[in-house]
Amino acid sequence: MMHFSRAGSTSRMALGVRCAHMAGRFTVAGFILLGVVASQASASAFDRNVEHYRTQIAEDIGQALSGARRLRDCIAADDLEGAKKAWISARGGWERSEVFTSGLVPELDEKIDAWPKSTTGFHAIEAKLFGAQQTGVQSETDALIADLAELDAKLRDMPLPPQALLNGLARLAYEVGESKSDGGESRLSGTSLDDMRNNLLGISQAYHALFSEALAASDPALAAATQADIETLKALLDAPGLAAINSSHLRKASEAFVITLASMAPKINLQKPVLEEFGK
Amino acid sequence: MIRRWQQLFLSGWGTRVAAGSALLLGLTLAISNPRAFPVYGDQTVLPAGTELNEDALDRPREIFNSVSRGGGKSYLINLGDLAFSSPSILGGAARRAGISCNSCHVNGASNPQLYVPGLSTRHGNFDTTSVLFNPKADDGVLNPFRTPSLRGASLLAPYGHDGRIASLREFVRHVIVDEFAGPEPSPAILDALVVYIDDIGFLPNPSLGPGGRLVAARSSDAERRGEALFAKPFPHNPELSCSGCHTPSAAFVDHRQHDVGSGGLFKTPTLLNADFNAPYFHDGRFDSYDQVVAHFNAVFDIGLSVEDQRDLVAYLTAVGDGERPYERDGVITNVKEASDFASVLDIAIASRDKEVIALAVETVSGELRETVESFPERKDASVSGGGQERSLARLALKELVLTLRRIDLAAGADRFDDAAAEYKNFRYLMVSAVPTLLANAEPWSLFNPKVHDAHYAALKQTLQTAKRASP
Repeated sequence: MMHFSRAGSTSRMALGVRCAHMAGRFTVAGFILLGVVASQASASAFDRNVEHYRTQIAEDIGQALSGARRLRDCIAADDLEGAKKAWISARGGWERSEVFTSGLVPELDEKIDAWPKSTTGFHAIEAKLFGAQQTGVQSETDALIADLAELDAKLRDMPLPPQALLNGLARLAYEVGESKSDGGESRLSGTSLDDMRNNLLGISQAYHALFSEALAASDPALAAATQADIETLKALLDAPGLAAINSSHLRKASEAFVITLASMAPKINLQKPVLEEFGK
Repeated sequence: MIRRWQQLFLSGWGTRVAAGSALLLGLTLAISNPRAFPVYGDQTVLPAGTELNEDALDRPREIFNSVSRGGGKSYLINLGDLAFSSPSILGGAARRAGISCNSCHVNGASNPQLYVPGLSTRHGNFDTTSVLFNPKADDGVLNPFRTPSLRGASLLAPYGHDGRIASLREFVRHVIVDEFAGPEPSPAILDALVVYIDDIGFLPNPSLGPGGRLVAARSSDAERRGEALFAKPFPHNPELSCSGCHTPSAAFVDHRQHDVGSGGLFKTPTLLNADFNAPYFHDGRFDSYDQVVAHFNAVFDIGLSVEDQRDLVAYLTAVGDGERPYERDGVITNVKEASDFASVLDIAIASRDKEVIALAVETVSGELRETVESFPERKDASVSGGGQERSLARLALKELVLTLRRIDLAAGADRFDDAAAEYKNFRYLMVSAVPTLLANAEPWSLFNPKVHDAHYAALKQTLQTAKRASP
């Protein structure tokens, strides 16, 4: 048997201890935090799968990066419509990689996807392109390209611990159920629904690349239930527009999916996913 | 500024000097309240520019008659309150936009900040017969009404601005089904809503004694002069007086409709706690008591001098006062409300009432999800510090949301013992870890005015970037 890539687990463990210490005598808080401690579960085919997943997210980040470079070219040519298209393409790649980015590269996530204080990143550019209808986003775009390039380089050899990826997956699954009645995060470009769909694609991609095989081997019924949850979410997001989404059904489906993921974790030798990022 | 305005109301009768004009000033300030953050974007359910004021930190204080009597809120009251806060009992745009009864009648009071472009002619009113909320009720005319406070509603029949519906139950059904396109409510939910609304009390006003008379020791000369004018017959219509309709001994109403020169027959509104009910008249046309008094003086040719009008305004302000009209939103109020709402699960699970279980899970988990957003995530650069505390608070709230969902899933599959066990777990979390983890993070949450303002300033900045060069 191979073993999981455990790099990064030491600091995560230390963090878990710190958090548990903060929560002090509150055993329930300690219980909630149990999952923060990285899994010491035994090995699986995960190491092989994770390399496959790495190539997939490299493609997504590659799409984000090439979109951002195209955006720069369009800006230089003062092509507003082309710039908007390039932004949307870059955004799609980024949103699909969110399973991994929010937990494993929080410092880059903070710059690339800054919100609501968006002086840099996607939303700063979005506000000018889609809101103000102007292409004066040279410096923001250069910064975005630099950040995405750094992410692209980092991804090549950074450890991708399974627990962190399961955490990211569950966190994003919970987020998909958040109310978008205010227009959602990308409300100026009107692409919040695309964000959600790309999030779900990223979730599905990560689940299939990393966990579905192991789960099907240990609990086929649960594997089928997980797939059914993903399909339910997909169907709910298949709406003509954001306002047509049944948000109550979507919320229910997202929460049910997170609950399924929690019951899946022990079957693949991982801890219950933690729905928050505790940073470094 | 806004706090100074509220301070005026909080500080009691002694500082009620010239409060009529202060009220006007207060309203102007309230309208420019930097905390009312509008809806924007091109994919929103409600028109861009809508103001619901959901981000307000000071909320109307709610008085429950049952609690004032020394008892506690019954299952029915909690269920009614829960339904009142649930968008899922409404339909159409309201449900999709996450609007509930409580969005307009905040904590059973009103919402003077409410503004829906195209449906409102001013803050505090809106058209309930428009294509947006129920195409079937669209009457083709812009006729907005102010959102009334429901304080003391049990004493204020008949219902509707024109008093056309005698029964509160019938009126509530009308609002749900006809105004907000909701499905026909079940009798149990309708009963609970009525029990809840009947339990919304007036804020105490120690300036008023038996018979609705001013307490001499607590009133000023101007207020007492105003009280005398209030009871005095109008010179040209001696059968009329202010108190003839606003009966002081009967919650300042007569349960009847009158034409007071505002364009039709409208029911007499109560004056109790009315300092907090602006704007005034059925359509909210007046901002202040000064304007209201001037209107009556002109329409009925009462011949009030400037001093008389000032005295009447002083009297109205004394009558309309109430103790601690606002309370600060925070961790404690949020946890308390979620606990009270969720408490219906106790009986609902035991009696296998799937409708109530689903309603409670939907509503409480929806509110808890919103509370998560009061603790900005780590990457929100508009907040510095408290990252661990914020993450812990968010995590605890998300665990509650999932616990509620497990109750719903278990009940849906007829596993009521599992639902009961999960509910026990929920209650345990609510009294142990959750309040502490939330309180630990409160200094870095949107419940802290500084953090709140920084967060919304950042959002506003993004908005302005989007607007700056737009045509």
